[in-house]
Amino acid sequence: MATETHTAPRADQELVVEQKIQKLRELYADAPDLRRVALEKGLPNLKRELAAATGTQNAGRIGARQGKVSELTGIFPFAKGGAKRLRGLLQLLEGNFKLADAVGTVHDMRFVFLDNDTKLLFATAYDGDWDAYISDFATKIPDALDLLFCDAVGWPGIRSPKVKDWIVEHQISAEAWYVANPNLTVAETRKLARVGKAVEQFLDNIG
Amino acid sequence: MLTAKDSVDSNRSTGAPALELNEIQATVLRQRPAPYCGTHVILRIDEVRAGRELLRLLTPHVDSAAGWREAANAWLAVGISYSGLEALGVPRDSLESFPEAFRVGMAARARQLGDEGVNDPKNWEPPFGTRDVHIGLSAFSDSEEKRRRILAMAREQYERLSGISVLLTQDFGLQPGDLNPLGYKDGIDQPPIEGGGDEPRPGQGPPIKAGEFILGYAGEAGVPLPMPQPDVLGRNGTYVGLRKYQSRVGAFNRFLHANGRTDDERELLAAKLVGRWRSGAPLTLAPDVDNPAIGQDPHRNNDFTYANDPRGRQVPLGSHIRRMNPRDTELARLTDVNLHRVIRRGTTYGPPYDPNALSEKDDEVPRGAYFLFISAKAMATIEFLQQEWINDGNFIGAGNERDPIVGLQEKDATFTIPKAPVRRRVHGIETFNVLRGGEYFFMPSLSALKWLSELS
Repeated sequence: MATETHTAPRADQELVVEQKIQKLRELYADAPDLRRVALEKGLPNLKRELAAATGTQNAGRIGARQGKVSELTGIFPFAKGGAKRLRGLLQLLEGNFKLADAVGTVHDMRFVFLDNDTKLLFATAYDGDWDAYISDFATKIPDALDLLFCDAVGWPGIRSPKVKDWIVEHQISAEAWYVANPNLTVAETRKLARVGKAVEQFLDNIG
Repeated sequence: MLTAKDSVDSNRSTGAPALELNEIQATVLRQRPAPYCGTHVILRIDEVRAGRELLRLLTPHVDSAAGWREAANAWLAVGISYSGLEALGVPRDSLESFPEAFRVGMAARARQLGDEGVNDPKNWEPPFGTRDVHIGLSAFSDSEEKRRRILAMAREQYERLSGISVLLTQDFGLQPGDLNPLGYKDGIDQPPIEGGGDEPRPGQGPPIKAGEFILGYAGEAGVPLPMPQPDVLGRNGTYVGLRKYQSRVGAFNRFLHANGRTDDERELLAAKLVGRWRSGAPLTLAPDVDNPAIGQDPHRNNDFTYANDPRGRQVPLGSHIRRMNPRDTELARLTDVNLHRVIRRGTTYGPPYDPNALSEKDDEVPRGAYFLFISAKAMATIEFLQQEWINDGNFIGAGNERDPIVGLQEKDATFTIPKAPVRRRVHGIETFNVLRGGEYFFMPSLSALKWLSELS
């Protein structure tokens, strides 16, 4: 989605940066010495970042986005025996997620078991909004998603009209979100890889 | 309630539930007549009793889809906005059973729809985007004389009630050749609806579950979509997204002239933008020169797939028809194309397309189209189309490019025409159709209209 960046006149901008630094100093005023020193030493670098236009947007209802890349982070309590099943499944998959390849928008996924296997931390980076495609998942890959998430307490099933609300309920927006190439989607990355290869081949042929 | 006459026999063999055609408004399943004309009227309900009385008076004249086989040649359609339902005194728990996007209205969903810049609701024409739009009444007909007759009848009903205000009246249609404001034959590709009764046309593909388009039936996921309550209000109803576009014909022609030296070059470029020649002939079937005979023939003009055109050398991947219905195109994102189809009823208004209109003044001549997008989840579908298929190119590997016809363009927008040995990238794409208004309506069944008129 398009966003306009408004650049404030230089004087205003400097004032804004000064105000931000003032706020930082207040925040760190009662911190131990080490942190205060770190702040003062880091200030010249921080200044540049504080002066930049805002980089983070919202990804649909919840979650952060930079450019075209969004994050989804959620903590899902396991149903009884759920952690064992999911761990077994993930270990057998050995890192192969062909269906995520097919989805075409998933940059990465991580599954972290928390608090003595009582909860799952699921975190992923993906392109665009997930909820626009939830019904596509429900008709195209329902079983794979049900298999991955049915071990969470209260998973309504991917076909349920309540599934969007359920995910949002468990989702926690990242406080900060950094993406190295915010405008490169999975599809664009694959295309660039193809183009790069073709260019090398072309150069090989004429060289 | 359901008689053999009202149902469609073929449903029995497929096991799909027969549609209650005598309950569904005709406009949902009945194609625009050819030639077509009609009038859109927007009404405000000032007194709850007048609103109910109006529905009581109008309902007998609202056609159902049951008579679709007969050449019905003039009919009315009635849609009610969320604020219209409020003005009719619909009970609170029932109001709350409508989806969020419908309740807040199209203007309030501008962010999700990408309606910003020139398309921002703050630039819309009155009464769009206000909470005053309560009832959308549309008359469709195949002749001017019948249009006048049915409109006069409707007007008699709403003009005699003191608690009803007319906010807008807009005639449409009667375009030479039924062409749209940019000079193309349109409305060719419609989703095939299971049990809809229409003979499937070659190229339409397998029928889509009726529940995607009409409330109360199973959708593609096998279950019905959530339905407003009570049942009598929701069942056999659907939603309509209305979007009014102003066509900047001068800008469109200037673009064609800047990028095509001869008439032939300009017409080919115009065809590449849409994926069809102005005659309606698809580039898949007529790749190099127009073939108006194909364009005119409903059995041939939609009978194609992209199986032999994966790279878009005939129909560019970013062209309008390929975006609106990618058919068998391999998409970059996992997508179920059937879930994002919508019934379209385009209604063109204003003077016909003029290929010689080149000035900036021509951009502001009031002409364009009122588009009706009909689906049991019209709000979600329109938001999806706007975000994913119209104002983005990622799903077809076209980066930031947008739909060249209905997209909202950023500065220096381009359009890529795949070609051997190298593609051609055309610069200077502008927003050729500017949004000037939009509303969501609920299009109730005939029983629901009666239920609404009898509220107390």
